[in-house]
Parts: sequence; C-alpha cells; structure tokens
Amino acid sequence: MRRNRYAALLLAFLFGVGLSGCGGGSTERQTVALVAKSTRTEFWLSVFAGAEAAATEYNLDLTIVGPETEEDYETQNRMVADAAAAGAGAIVFSAIDYENNAAAVDAAAQQGVKIVAIDSSVASDLVSAYIGTDNYAAGQMAAQAALDRVEGPLKVGLVNYDVNSANGQERERGATDVFLQSGRAEIVTVINTLAEAERARADTAALLARNPEVNVLVAFNEPTSVGAARAVEAAGKGEDVFLVGFDSNVVTIDGLQEGTVDVLIVQNPYAMGYLGVESAYRLLSGQDGEVEQTVDTSTKAVDRNNLFTVDSQKALFAFEKGRN
Amino acid sequence: MSKRGAGRKGMRITTILVAIVVGVVAVILCCCILLFLDRYRDAMVQSARTSSSQAVSQVSTTVANYLGDMDQAMELVEQSMLESEDSRDKLLTAFLNFRPDVVAVTSYSPSGVLLDCWSLGRQPREQIYQNLSFDLEKARTASSPYMTAPHVESIFESYYPWVVTMTAPLKEGGRAAWVSLDLSFSSISSYINNIGIGQRGYCFLMDGAGNIVYHPQQQLLYSGLKSENTAVLAGLEDGSYADDTVIYSLTGVAGSDWRVVGVSYVDELVNRNVRDMIRLSLLLAVAVLAAAVLTSWLLFRLLSRPLRGLASAMEDFETDADHFTYRPVGGTREVQELSDSFEHMVLRIQRLMTTVREEEINLRKTELKALQAQINPHFLYNTLDSIAWMCEQGRNAEAVKMVHALARLFRISISKGHELIPIAKEIEHAESYLQIQKYRYKNQFTYTFDVDPACLGYYCNKITLQPIIENAINHGLDLMVDEGHIWVQVMQEGEDILFRVLDNGVGMSQEQLQSILQRGPKDRTGIGIKNVNDRLKIYFGKQYGLSITSEPDVGTCVEIRMPRIQEGDYEAK
Repeated sequence: MRRNRYAALLLAFLFGVGLSGCGGGSTERQTVALVAKSTRTEFWLSVFAGAEAAATEYNLDLTIVGPETEEDYETQNRMVADAAAAGAGAIVFSAIDYENNAAAVDAAAQQGVKIVAIDSSVASDLVSAYIGTDNYAAGQMAAQAALDRVEGPLKVGLVNYDVNSANGQERERGATDVFLQSGRAEIVTVINTLAEAERARADTAALLARNPEVNVLVAFNEPTSVGAARAVEAAGKGEDVFLVGFDSNVVTIDGLQEGTVDVLIVQNPYAMGYLGVESAYRLLSGQDGEVEQTVDTSTKAVDRNNLFTVDSQKALFAFEKGRN
Repeated sequence: MSKRGAGRKGMRITTILVAIVVGVVAVILCCCILLFLDRYRDAMVQSARTSSSQAVSQVSTTVANYLGDMDQAMELVEQSMLESEDSRDKLLTAFLNFRPDVVAVTSYSPSGVLLDCWSLGRQPREQIYQNLSFDLEKARTASSPYMTAPHVESIFESYYPWVVTMTAPLKEGGRAAWVSLDLSFSSISSYINNIGIGQRGYCFLMDGAGNIVYHPQQQLLYSGLKSENTAVLAGLEDGSYADDTVIYSLTGVAGSDWRVVGVSYVDELVNRNVRDMIRLSLLLAVAVLAAAVLTSWLLFRLLSRPLRGLASAMEDFETDADHFTYRPVGGTREVQELSDSFEHMVLRIQRLMTTVREEEINLRKTELKALQAQINPHFLYNTLDSIAWMCEQGRNAEAVKMVHALARLFRISISKGHELIPIAKEIEHAESYLQIQKYRYKNQFTYTFDVDPACLGYYCNKITLQPIIENAINHGLDLMVDEGHIWVQVMQEGEDILFRVLDNGVGMSQEQLQSILQRGPKDRTGIGIKNVNDRLKIYFGKQYGLSITSEPDVGTCVEIRMPRIQEGDYEAK
C-alpha cells in the first residue's frame, strides 16, 4: 500500500518534469548560404531580394556570395567549401558549370549540408531540390515566340553563354528543337560568348557582320540579351533582326519599346530566391516531406503588345528594387 | 504489520481518503482550468481583434494624413499652373525637391496629350510607347481628383519605378486640362511596413475595387508566391473578422476609397498565449495535486499511524493478556483519548484476571480442606479398625507401625497449613499411605520407590501422590487376583520434575480415564485426581498437570509434571 503511494508521488513528479520539459526548446538561427552565378545583374538582384524576404520570414541568417564573372566556377567551388566550413546548414546554389561544380557540391553535402539548386542545376545526386525555370520549355517558348511573329524563312543565330552551363544548354536545346521541327527555320550559327554585356555585344556584332542573312537572334540570359540588343541597335538592324531575349533588364525593356528587342522570355527570379531559401529552411527544420524535388517557377513571354499589362508589369518590374 | 493484518483485504482508510481528496481536487481543478482556458481564449481573441483594429486605424489615420498632404500638394500644383512659365517651373522644382516621393508632375491637354513633365533630372521619352499614368477616358469621367491603381512609370527611359497617380482636372481656359502627380511608395511603405500586428501580422492597403495598392510583401504577390483574398475582403464592411486562423481588420481611409486591411494570425496572437497558459495551468494543477496528495498523506499518516499502533497493541493484548504491558500511543487528542481508555481497560482486565485466579486458588484450597475433612474420618476409622484388629490378635509390633504411619500421614497432610511441601515429605506421605493400605489389603500388592535424590529438596503440592495411589489401588489392584505392584518414580526432566505412578493392574478404558479427569469431588469422597490436576494447572500453568495412559490388563501410568520449585517460590499464591 505504501509503495503504491510512493509510486503515485513519483508519477506526479515525473509528469511535472515532463511538462516543464516541453516548455523549452528555443532553437538558434540557422545559416543559409546563397551561392549565385553573379551578384550584378538585375536577375540576380531580384533573386537576392526574394531570398532575403524568405530569410526574414523564416528567421534565418542569409549570406549571399557570387563570383565576379559568370564563368568562374572555381571561385564558386571555393565559396561552396567556405560556406560549408563556416557552418552553413544549407546552401542555395546556382551552378556555373554543370560538371565542374559537382565535386564541391558533393563534398559539402557529405558534410551534412543540404543543397538546394536554383536557376541552374549541377551534376550531383545529393541535390535535395531544384527550383527554377523549366529551361528546355523556356527555350521552346523563345523559339515559338519567334516562329509566331516572323513570317517566311528564319535564319537563326543563337547567342549563348558558357557551354558548360546547364540552363543555357537546356534552353538552347529547346529552342533548336522547336526551330528545326518548324521546317522553315535554319540555325545559321551558334556562338558561346561570356555572360557579360560588353563581350556579348562585341561577339553578337561580329556574328551579325559575319552572317548578314541572320534575321532571328535568340540570346539566352540577361547579359547576352543586353549585349545582343546593343549590337542590334548599333548595327541599325532593329527592324531587320527579330531579337528574342531572356529576363528583364532596363536596357532590354527600353529596347522592347524602341523596337530593337522583340520578345523577352521573363523568368521569376524573385520566386527562385524565395523558394530556394524556403526549401532550405524546410530541409533544415526536418520538413523534408514538404520539399518538392523540382519546382518549376513561372516563365512569361513579353512582347510590345503585352508589355504594360498588369501581369507583365508585375513580371518585368521589380517592386523592391530600391532596397538593393 | 501483524500476520492477521496482512491477510485482510479491505483498503486502509488513509488510502481511501487520499484517493477521495485527490480525486475531488483533480476534478475541481480540471473544471476550473477548462473554464478558465475557455474564458481566456475568448479574451485573447477579443484583445487580438482590438489590437488589430487599433493598429489598422492608426495606419488609416497616417495614410489619410498623407493623402490630405497630397491633396494640398495637388492644390499647390493646380495653382502653379496658373502662374507664368518661369515661376511655375521654379515652384514645381522646389516642390519636387521638397517631396522626394513625387516622381513626376505631368500636365495634359484636353485631348489627353502630354504637355509638360517635371521630374528631377529626367526627361520623358520623345516617343512614349504607352503612358500608364494617364487614362483619358477615366480623366474625362472624373470630376474631382482621383487615384489610379499601382503601375509602372512608363514615360522615362531606363527608369521604371512603381507609382500611383493622382490626377486632378484643371479649371477650364488654361492650356492644360489635367495635371497628374506620380507618387512612389516610399512614404506609404514607411507608414505600412513598420506596422506589425503580433510577430507575423501586417497591414496592407487596397482600393475600393479590391486592387492592392500597397502591400509590405508586394513583390511576393507579384511573383505569384502569395495572394490575398481581396475579392472577399472588398465586400466586407469595416470592422474585425476572425476565423480559426486569421483575424482581418478593415478600416476605410478618410478622403479616398482606399482601405487599410490588417492581417494577424490567431495562432500567433492567441494560441501561443493559450498554449503557454495551458502549460502553466497544467503545471499548476500538477503542483496543486502533488500538494494535495502530500498534505492529505501527511495528515492521514498523522492520524493512522497511532491508530495502527493502537490496533497492534490490541492484537498483542489479545494474544497474551497476562504479560502485556501497555505503552501509551501519542498523536492527536482523539487518539490519545482512545489510547488512555484502552490503557484503563487493559489495567482493569489484568486486575480482574488476577482477582479471578486468586479466587480460583482460594476456592481449590477451601475445597481441598473440605475434602480432607471428609476423607479423614472415613480413612481414619477404617485404619483404626485395622489397628484394633491387630492389637486383638496380638500383633503389637505391626500395630505400632500402623499407628506411626497414620500419625505421619496426618502430620504431613496438615503440614502447618502449607500448600507446598518438600518432595521428601510428599514421598514420606505416600509411603505412609501405602504402608497402611498394604496392611489393610493384607499384602495383596507390593510397591517400590524410585526417587532421584536430587529431587528431594524441591517442593511440590501436598497430597499429590496419595489420590493417584488410591486410584491405582481401588481401580487397578483391588480387582486383581494376582499380587499387584505399584511403582512410584520421581525424576528430573529438563526444568521440570516428573512424578510417575505405575501399576500392573487391570487398567482403565478410555471412558474411565475421561471420567476420572472430569469428575468433581461431589461424586465420591476423597480428593479426586481432578482436584490434583486442577491445582497443578492453577499453580503452574496450563502446560503442567497430569496425564494418564492405560492399557486394559497391562496397567496404568499416571504422569505428573510440575516445575522445579524452591522453597518460597510460590508461597505468595
């Protein structure tokens, strides 16, 4: 009888301890590193804005780094390693080089860092999620935009960036497939320039000089589009050359109104940044089930006719630009 | 606990009482906590709604002030339009410097053509592709200043900020029919971004049609990552609306069709507090329960331990009343009273028991004396007859012996009134008796004594052996044809002394044995065996006394056991 009573007391005590044990459990802030391809283009600034919004919402420490040029995968590798060494719980990563970034990503992932790829993926099985444009479909969309708006035979020049970059190559493949399937388009030339406006302008100018018959140009990212627009404008070929660019930049938007640029394939960089960090948060907080393997952020084709519709405004013009 | 206690099934009263108290406390606590939490949640929801409405009305006031400022600014701009071109430019430049959130001031002809544009450091495009700041149709239908939905400023090159446009008609007669102010969100955002309701709650601004004018997470909305259900909200009256997860508060902005919407999360504002409160009250409940258990346990222990002490004392008393000494039990006054009463009772019972024993002993003594008084004459005149007869026959020597034996018998029987006499005397007494009887029975039997000399110094009750021997002669040897024999043995066994009287007579049946031990003195004259047995038991205890074994035609053995006692040991009794 007496032993029962002690047992009951003990039980009550344990119950109390258990309850008070539930009370604690404050977690310290997790760190997420965003390793971008660049820190300069409007595209990336928009990604960062989205990432910061998510970091604020989920109470994360966010560090943002990116190399000087969009070809410098070695610096990216170093940045990934540094972020892992600095104790980042997750790395939100956009690979410059599909193959050559893989080893660094694998190494970081093996240290327990969660990897979320945005915009451009990497050849690693340890990537937990990919968030970005369906690049093949975006390439198709670009080619289809040209096919819909240009009559007669199409002599196409493709202005692409680093040949090792996964998203550029996917877009090019999508565009090429659609052009060739149409039967009235011919890929005259493909150049791989740097993802830097001035170099892209020079290379596109050379392309136009070399292939005067080209009447359709497709540039596959923001710097190449800006460069191509400038080259077309400089060559005075705004009317003759149908330019399909990628992403939103004041230069290309000006060009769209002035006629040098004809269609812009606009991605959703803010969403990439936001969802990238959100996925990182979910992976870190153990909600792996809620992280989708692949998230396709929206893509929109904008031309002169729908440039100022409400939806296009929202897609093209960053609201929070002033903050960066 | 005693063996008897361990076998009992029922629960102890303390256990029951503790259980009842704890149960009642638990039920009351549960009810109180549930009631309290219910009330508390209601109060929290109400306070969350109130704080939400307060935040929203605050924002509404600042936005209304801002719009009032803008109305004044617009009047200023309208007036400037009447000035000369120079002073107008100067005025507007000063105005733009003063109000950095005004991106551009534009004026339009009656046909909607952009006439002039004032903006710090910027010129409009030569060819404006589409001017989102001015809508001729809408301007024509409006008679007073109006606001547009947010849009991108589209009249400049490479500069596309998000703005809202305020357009006002000018007095007729001038070159310009309308003037517009393009307002960036820098001021409005500073009013709205800083307003937090709870940790995650926020405010946003929408117009009467449900278009969002400004939202702290505008880019999130534009990127399609978030949405507000403005269609429903636009249909609601001003006020607070709470559902399970969100509290919406709406307030109109004076002087416009804009409305401020406050969004806050029930979970954050209410549930977290409620959860904290639940945790707290549960802890409290556990503490109270533990305290209840502890105090009731202590209380009842205080009561039950002395009670249990009392109970075990009673049990002890029950098993051995003679040697029980009572130690009073401490505790509460009730228990002490009980304890005192019990003590009195114990003392009285023990006194009564002593009295009863004394009375019993006295009774036996009296009885013994009465019996002695009875047998003596009978035995005496029989013996005297025998002596007379011996004298007649001239057997003087034998007659003398008989007379001596008789004298010894009586002397020892009386023993100056002592009950206990040395064993040597008792043997002498038995021998005298046997001597006399042997004469009387004409040598029909013989006898032998086998006495351990060490026993002779100890004491025993007088006239212990004589009745046994008498019985052996009467029942065993009297009926025999052959010569009988009687053995009298005295020996030590452990702490006891053993007397044994054996005969080789006809023996006794079981019924006879029983009747001998139970028959009272009234049935016949003489001191019966029962009397001997009773006396031994009264004097020395139940374990002492007399036992008879007998086998028909073989003989009878009577065994008397008594403790080894010295002179004076039992004189008091």
